[in-house]
Amino acid sequence: MSTIYQAKSIRTMDPHQPHATHLAVKDGHILAVGTGADVADWQSAWGPLELNTDFAERTLLPGFIEGHAHMMEGLLWDYHYVGYYDREGPDGTIWPGLKSIDDVVAHLKQIQETRDDPSEPLIAWGFDPIYFEGRRMTANDLDSISAACPVAVLHASLHILNANNFIMDAADVKNADNSEFIRRDTRGKPTGEFLGQLGMYMAMRTTNLDLLAAASSPKTLQTFSQVARQTGVTTCTDLANPVPEGAEVAMRETVEKDSFPMRLVVAYQGNSRPPEESVARMQALQDKQSDKLRFSLVKFVADGSIQGFSARLKWPHYYNGAPNGLWYIEPDRLREYLKAFTAAGFQCHVHTNGDECTEVTLDAIEDALRAHPWPDHRHTLQHCQMASRAHFKRMKNLGVGVNLFSNHLYYWGDEHRAITMGPERAGRLDDAGGCLEEGVPLAIHSDAPVTALAPLFTAWCAVNRLSSSGVTLGGESEKISLEQALYAITMGAAYSLRLDTEIGSLEVGKRADIAILADDPIEVGAAGLKDISVIGTMVDGHVHLNKGRDA
Amino acid sequence: MSQSPPIGSAPKVSLTIIAGFLGSGKTSLLNHLLTQSQGRKITALVNDFGALNIDSELIEAQHGNQVSLTNGCICCSIGDDLMRSLADIMRQDPLPDHLIIEASGVADPTRIAAYAAVDPQLRLDGIVTLVDAAAHALHAQDPYLADNYHKQIEAGHMLLLSKPDLVEAHQLETLEAELRANYPTTPQARVRNGHLPIEVVLGLQAKEQVQTAPPLTPQIEAHGLKSWSGHLPDNLSRNALADKIISLAPHVLRAKGVLADAQGAYALHYAGGRIHFENLDVTPSGHFVLIGKPELPNAETLSTLFQPARA
Repeated sequence: MSTIYQAKSIRTMDPHQPHATHLAVKDGHILAVGTGADVADWQSAWGPLELNTDFAERTLLPGFIEGHAHMMEGLLWDYHYVGYYDREGPDGTIWPGLKSIDDVVAHLKQIQETRDDPSEPLIAWGFDPIYFEGRRMTANDLDSISAACPVAVLHASLHILNANNFIMDAADVKNADNSEFIRRDTRGKPTGEFLGQLGMYMAMRTTNLDLLAAASSPKTLQTFSQVARQTGVTTCTDLANPVPEGAEVAMRETVEKDSFPMRLVVAYQGNSRPPEESVARMQALQDKQSDKLRFSLVKFVADGSIQGFSARLKWPHYYNGAPNGLWYIEPDRLREYLKAFTAAGFQCHVHTNGDECTEVTLDAIEDALRAHPWPDHRHTLQHCQMASRAHFKRMKNLGVGVNLFSNHLYYWGDEHRAITMGPERAGRLDDAGGCLEEGVPLAIHSDAPVTALAPLFTAWCAVNRLSSSGVTLGGESEKISLEQALYAITMGAAYSLRLDTEIGSLEVGKRADIAILADDPIEVGAAGLKDISVIGTMVDGHVHLNKGRDA
Repeated sequence: MSQSPPIGSAPKVSLTIIAGFLGSGKTSLLNHLLTQSQGRKITALVNDFGALNIDSELIEAQHGNQVSLTNGCICCSIGDDLMRSLADIMRQDPLPDHLIIEASGVADPTRIAAYAAVDPQLRLDGIVTLVDAAAHALHAQDPYLADNYHKQIEAGHMLLLSKPDLVEAHQLETLEAELRANYPTTPQARVRNGHLPIEVVLGLQAKEQVQTAPPLTPQIEAHGLKSWSGHLPDNLSRNALADKIISLAPHVLRAKGVLADAQGAYALHYAGGRIHFENLDVTPSGHFVLIGKPELPNAETLSTLFQPARA
């Protein structure tokens, strides 16, 4: 079926023809882009094309591309969202932010009273106490929901967990050594809050469930794709996945269905196997790919997070005096892996949060490229939140791209100013302006589920650089323009995934992956960018309308 | 939904964490422990099974990321998810006697030890940190890793100096003196190609080596270490005994006793400055074993110290 879609406005991200109103789709690809005046020519050149005016009052953009998210976003919606900010679920339900511990407890109590089997574990996620002054959540709070089944509240960071006494009793922490990973009250009694991954470990031991299964069940994938569709995303990454034997086949069965509204780029977790074995696994995945499922990237996590004080920073390190963070992989080992994957011709994405880690990773990439020259490798630094201008210059010279964690500016901007980085360094956090000025290819991301998947919001963050309290981080030189931000969430991300010949702009021959918006971002302007309603998407020409929106 | 059996009802698994930088000899030590297990059921969580280079004749079966050895030991690769690997191991039935976790070269071993603080079925036996004698100077000043390096040494309940043969004797002595000055209560031992009596690393086994009289493995003396054993009087309280052991630190590497005092029967485990008492409901043998460095006092002095009633 060949169709011409008429829209109020089409922003193509194609410099040859940035603005249009009509777009023809054939066999899942874009056949033609232009205006009403071109339609007659298209008809005579390409044969009969059906005119569809469903989106005549809508704006079309290239489908958004989320270059750094995790499939866990799809899993967490099996549990109950209790975050501070409103968050849209896969079915379009807006879950209102909960503004106090009492609100969280009341919300979960209501769920406990109405669910089918109240003896099942009750798991909640997205809790973020940094916004609550005063007391912290305790096991007694959660016992008031139920003391007869495991109740666990996972924090937004995914690295802290509050448990009720059902779990605490099983954990037997009363006899435990005095561990810094178990929060205690002033009398030394454990409060029910576990740091590191201890809480998740105990919740898993108590329930015998794999609460955060790495495996990608069809349901998890479906939910993940629905969250993506609600926000206009047509290509999403899972960064990263160890891809256990056989997982690639199961994933493909789900993803291949026309009704599955998303292209999925799985980044293979490079250090999930020893180097030689790991390269072989990646090679074996290559012929398991399809149009909608890619195993084209390798991912490494080199350090921790800034807000978790586990990112590796250069002197003077943390503003509050916390000791420098952690390497998640030995620098020498990273070097070895990067060399092995570069030699085999696989593009690598490396998570580097702190500036020391960014530097060490650039050294490792330079080493790999000296050993195995590759002019268009497109190795990419992910997060890369504290990169300086000097780092960006070096990235430019090495041909390295960057995908910045712009959502941090809003969610943790205030904490970075006050606690982790101090005002000067927080000013250059996620410096998209500097990055583009130095000529480094730019994408921006949400790291969902760490923050909500929503590229228009991410673009808004990079353009406005406002923290949640309304403080602007940095100045004009760190900001990017609205047009640059829209490019970053489409062509910028496509480039970083080596998919820019296929997707990322609306031009002839590319895949018909389209975001359908209620309003034109260019007309709405920078301030309102995050509030634009997404009507749905098109993936390979298949229309997927959002729940809770009228076309 | 299947509820797990109530945790805490099964016997404890003793946990040893092997820390140290890349190239410090963790793999050689693991290879030695797994192949010289002396009847212990050891499960090891390792970073790279292939690097262990276990003799293929010792490999019984391989399923996914798990390799079974003919001596009953099991080796699992961690991948990049220690928490899940550990949870999987602790759900197995039967549980191993001993679990060894090979920390990555940049891990903070105290983070791994924390699992034992919450899991009632895990008992932290100790953190063993390998110090590469030949690369110490380099590691201690590494611009990116020095903080990590010192953290690992600080976390160690026992420091094993590897590759002693690659440095001059005086350099080795200087390093040992430096470590002793900074960590006066942490015992040290030298280890070459991973060879060290298993009792030193994993502790003494209650049944075979403490309930009945020694002999300890002849390896102890072959490695230039010393051991002492004897029956302790039951008027010696556990706290008094602890004080006596600590008075000998850092020359004591290991101690174990199956004993009784006014509070009842108990087992004592000592590993690198850490004493752990475990209440027992068996009749204790009163036997006590100590493994230490050559600097330990002679047998007569030890008898006087630990058996004052007879002295």
